[in-house]
Amino acid sequence: MSAAAEVLERPAKLEKKPNLLMRTLRQKQAKIGLALTLLVLAIALFGPLALPWLTGSTSTEFTGRPFTSTGLFGTDNLGRDVFSRFLDGGLKLLVYSALATGIGMLLGVVLGMVAAYSGRRLDGLLMRGNDVLLALPQLVFAMLAITVLGPQGWVLVLVIGVTHAPRVARVTRSAAAAVITEDYIRASEMYAVPRWKILLTEVLPNITGPLMVELGLRMTYSIGFVAALSFLGMGMQPPNADWGLMINENRIALVVQPWGVILPVLAIAVLTVGTNLLTDSLARASANINVGN
Amino acid sequence: MSTEPSQLPSRRAVLGGGMALGLGLLLSACSSAGASVLEAPSGPPRRGGTLRVGLAGGGAADSLDPHSPVSTTDIARVVNLYESLLYRDENFELKPLLAVKVIPDASAKVWTATLRPGVKFHNGAPVTAQDVVATFKRITNPKDPKSGAASLAILDEVVALDAETVEFRLNTASATFDDSLGQYALGIVPADFDVLHPVGTGPFKAKSFDAGRQSVFVRNDGYWRENEPYLDELVILNFSDQDALINSLLSSQVDAIGQIPLALLEVIGADPRITVLKSPTGGWMPFTMRVDKKPFDDVRVRQAFRLAVDREQMIQQVLSGHGTVGNDLYAPFDPGFAAALPQRTQDIAKAKALLADAGYPKGLDIELVTAPIQSGAVEAAQVFAQQAAAAGIRVKIRQVETTTFFGDNYLDWTFAQDFWYTRNFLPQVSSSSLPDSPFNETHWDNKKFTALVDRANQEVDEARRNQLIAEAQKIEYEQGGYIIWGFPDQADAYQKYVAGLVPNKTGLALSGFEFRRAWIGVSQ
Repeated sequence: MSAAAEVLERPAKLEKKPNLLMRTLRQKQAKIGLALTLLVLAIALFGPLALPWLTGSTSTEFTGRPFTSTGLFGTDNLGRDVFSRFLDGGLKLLVYSALATGIGMLLGVVLGMVAAYSGRRLDGLLMRGNDVLLALPQLVFAMLAITVLGPQGWVLVLVIGVTHAPRVARVTRSAAAAVITEDYIRASEMYAVPRWKILLTEVLPNITGPLMVELGLRMTYSIGFVAALSFLGMGMQPPNADWGLMINENRIALVVQPWGVILPVLAIAVLTVGTNLLTDSLARASANINVGN
Repeated sequence: MSTEPSQLPSRRAVLGGGMALGLGLLLSACSSAGASVLEAPSGPPRRGGTLRVGLAGGGAADSLDPHSPVSTTDIARVVNLYESLLYRDENFELKPLLAVKVIPDASAKVWTATLRPGVKFHNGAPVTAQDVVATFKRITNPKDPKSGAASLAILDEVVALDAETVEFRLNTASATFDDSLGQYALGIVPADFDVLHPVGTGPFKAKSFDAGRQSVFVRNDGYWRENEPYLDELVILNFSDQDALINSLLSSQVDAIGQIPLALLEVIGADPRITVLKSPTGGWMPFTMRVDKKPFDDVRVRQAFRLAVDREQMIQQVLSGHGTVGNDLYAPFDPGFAAALPQRTQDIAKAKALLADAGYPKGLDIELVTAPIQSGAVEAAQVFAQQAAAAGIRVKIRQVETTTFFGDNYLDWTFAQDFWYTRNFLPQVSSSSLPDSPFNETHWDNKKFTALVDRANQEVDEARRNQLIAEAQKIEYEQGGYIIWGFPDQADAYQKYVAGLVPNKTGLALSGFEFRRAWIGVSQ
């Protein structure tokens, strides 16, 4: 980041404040968060490409008896190379979490904005319905759906996404409720701009701050849920390599060959801590214009 | 310590003393753990002591009912409180227990049991033929049949001829009815038995029982075997989790644990304080192919699947090398076992050729339903999927929960797994391989096979019966729906100071739970 350029630029365009992203990234914890997130992302994205030449085996090949010290991090419960499985196990977890978060955000934002803008009866209807859904614990609901529909990828993504939606909607509604009383909304209404256009062009850009925070939070939760469901045997199916599944498969040998559990636990922990730090900085930047300046 | 002239100890001294005491206790605790027994005791068995046994499984539904043990902990308790007429010893041979002999008549329809004289129940009453009759009435009570009743379906009535002789009258001839009588769930109890005051003839008497937690049994001083049992007290503890079970052994909170994961056998055995007891068993974890459903209705497909398995690798990867290779046949300890059939090995080329003949030149897709029904089941499915890929068999694994697996679709899965404990051929067939068997998971219905089994069931001459069994097994070897890749070993672990336990082929943990044999060596 060229601070000098920034300084030079500022007098020229005095009215332009540094945008949300910039303000976020100027915080120290955001940098740490970004670094951690990128590290795990890199492992998940490029890990599968590094097989088998980096470790000498694919993630499903048998390299020895179970729980022996063959290879860099030993073998897992079936005698497969732990490191290969670790490198291969993150991509699906991340893709599923990202998709689930995306679905949840989309549904939630639409619902929340509609509720806030339409007010009164529709608002009440949507939000009380929301309350009912909020009363269900997310993980229990997900387990129920998977038991009924079978452990398929799309079920996993959809069910986590859909259960995110009420939570996102709640945040969106309160953020949007503060915006819709503004004069520029009134102005647009006077010009008879269609409702959807007002929501899209006037309301949405003004609530991105809280929404970005929510996005980060939901991403963290999604990662946790996908990993937890895989751990319970309801997410990714064997012989797929997956971090959550790995923890389950190798936990009986925690004392003997801990790497099969430690590696995926570390990766998930680092990833969630990283995204949390980022989200935290984002929240600060959006709440206080002066952060990072 | 205190430098103050006062007679009363100063606050500092008291605190210091207290700390020193605490530290001392801690140190002595450490040293006592460090000086645990590192060598197995030898010499004649010693009397006395308490044995604490940890077992995984069981729960609030645990009971001391002699005739419906369900969980492992139930079985362990039942074996030590009660005794049946016959039993399977450590070599899986049928031996007399409460009966001295059980013999059939020429038609194999009437069996006569002679009771062991002088045996007394825990309450001091002698065991009579009337008690045996009452016991079997309790088990086969049509209103509340116990778990042993399934194999007694052919039993018409039990008649006491005199105080020591009982006659079992069957409705169908069965030359192996004695095998049915050798089940641990057929313990003889007094005619006025009440499960709240469990009275049997076993080596231990019930002192206290807390379902799902633990039971305390004490020595039965009037036990009929000489010198046994050696222990004063036997405590059986429930564990809900295998990790907790192993940790409690390593931290000396229990003296013995049953069924440790085979993958951890070497590691646990490397601890100098621990002995590992490994027993070969006839338990099996087959893949089940439904012979009446596509694609397995074609015998060539079934044989191709069997040829796709690398059995040695299965044993290595799934059981960490602790098991015996299988030959697609169950009942390996049966005297009639067809050991002469050549060992089947992996033959990918032949498997591919068979699949091509059957109309799958490009291989086929198949869904394999698996569940953690037994340790190693899900693992076996994964290894099979990996091996079969070479033959063009693309296996999609579908893991379900155990409750789902044994739920509505159980016995309907096209391609799935199961597990069975050690049994001899004829009892196994009647549970799983006849058209009217309760658990015929492969839907096996072969006229010739059934006819051979029927004849074997009625054949009193053992040599001829064994020949019929071998013939029937040959049919299964050539056409059957089971892929039986191996028989896992049973491994238990206990502290070095525990003695007297021996390897046991029945598949029950810790010497078949026969704790009458166990004794505690001196701990120093």
